[in-house]
Amino acid sequence: MSAFFGPLDPERRVPPRQQTRIAAFLISAHGALARQYAFALPAKLDSAWQTEMNAQVFRETEIVSLLLRATSWVPDLALGYMGACWEAAWLPAPVEAIPDPALATAAGLATLAHAVHAGIRPAALLPVDANANDPFVMALRRIEFESGRLLQAQILLLKGADLAPFRDAVSATLERRHTEIGKLWGDALAGIGITTVPAE
Amino acid sequence: MRVLNLPLDAAMPFLNHGSYRIRYEIDGPANAPTYVLVNGLTQYAELWTAYRDALVAREFRVATFDLLGQGASDKPALFIRQDDQVAALHLLIGKLGDGPVFLSGISFGGLIALRYAIAHGKRLAGLVPMSCFAELPPQLLLLGNALRTGLILGGTSYLQDLLLPMNLSDQWLKPLLDRLDSVKRQGWLVNDVYALQNLMESFLDFEPLTPLLPSIAVPTMILNGEFDFLTPRALHETLRVQIPNSSLVIIPRAYHAFTLEKPALTADLLACFAQDVLAGNWQGDKAVWIAPEEAGGTLAPFPAGYDHLRAIPVQGVTP
Repeated sequence: MSAFFGPLDPERRVPPRQQTRIAAFLISAHGALARQYAFALPAKLDSAWQTEMNAQVFRETEIVSLLLRATSWVPDLALGYMGACWEAAWLPAPVEAIPDPALATAAGLATLAHAVHAGIRPAALLPVDANANDPFVMALRRIEFESGRLLQAQILLLKGADLAPFRDAVSATLERRHTEIGKLWGDALAGIGITTVPAE
Repeated sequence: MRVLNLPLDAAMPFLNHGSYRIRYEIDGPANAPTYVLVNGLTQYAELWTAYRDALVAREFRVATFDLLGQGASDKPALFIRQDDQVAALHLLIGKLGDGPVFLSGISFGGLIALRYAIAHGKRLAGLVPMSCFAELPPQLLLLGNALRTGLILGGTSYLQDLLLPMNLSDQWLKPLLDRLDSVKRQGWLVNDVYALQNLMESFLDFEPLTPLLPSIAVPTMILNGEFDFLTPRALHETLRVQIPNSSLVIIPRAYHAFTLEKPALTADLLACFAQDVLAGNWQGDKAVWIAPEEAGGTLAPFPAGYDHLRAIPVQGVTP
């Protein structure tokens, strides 16, 4: 077990089995965010903040497209069961303490997106000597970089005035989302020889 | 539970603050006077390794930890209050028994140390704020805002790109120019964008500490790099003027991050300060000193009649 991808092949690329597992997880997570944001996006924008929602839809879609093309795919029998678990975890979960259904749903989606964008750092798994010109390596770096930017929309909503009356409930939901998704990520990595240390 | 992207020692101890865990380490003889060292904003506890080794060799105990939001400590997802950092520090100091405790912190860590001294000063034998501030004047406020924007738009790596040349000297940077990525890597690995952003945003409701500084009664040595323009001399002057039993020590040719650049000298200053306090020889007198260039040298008084707030030798004005 290692904290990083490897052993790298002679061209310093990540092993295809590790690429497949990581890409499948990220496609599942970012694909779910793309679908949920697309569903929530109105045909005609009413508010300035909805421009950010439009951006989220297309950047999440870009991540999926990028991984589909940059990954060296190999069969992975574990993906059937894991994929089902992942998809179940992404299901919409409105924040229960918020009485306005639309706001509760938006807050729930924001907690999921925050946990994915903030808590999943695929580029941090790359060893120092990974080939910087390899498309999969470049893709992971790009996804982590873009996630830091996408995250700002979630931070603005979750820290914003609309949710201030529900701060404790939102914080608790967010921490729970981080824990859930961190565990899924840790389990996905553990199956391909990468260790993460649970800090209970 | 939180899953980390870094290998950890399974025996690493943690403190519990509410639902959050704070990673800490205590080294050195159990009954010795203790130095507690508080990280700067983008730092992690291992950056004090040289201090731990130097101070333990001089019969001190050393306690280090990752602040909430840093390194291997938990990273609250949405908000990190500075009061929680002080509470975490109080938990750590509570683990140290009844012996003398000297508290030192750099930059953001210096601010947390000041807050601790204001709230729990009786527990301290001495205080050493380094590259520190008690208020956010316009330059520091705007620099902080710009650094936060840099973090948001460019990630941790870009924030490091801004901080390295701002806070370290050419002499330190030049031999590292072709391997800066490796210098940045550990900080990039252990610190997350959202957590650093939360730490920075803990200043959104910041109130100046200046009116509270006179309540700090413990001996206090304020360390300021000669060329620190992130937190320049005037910010340290506020501490010197307001903290009754303090002295200001200017580190020659040093920038904001002199704890990284001059560990031997700084550890020597910390040890000598604590030894003076314990021996009853410390006199703050709100004096201004110049540190030696190297560890083992002696402090020199700032030349009488000159203004220590200026960068050119201007005669001081007698108040």
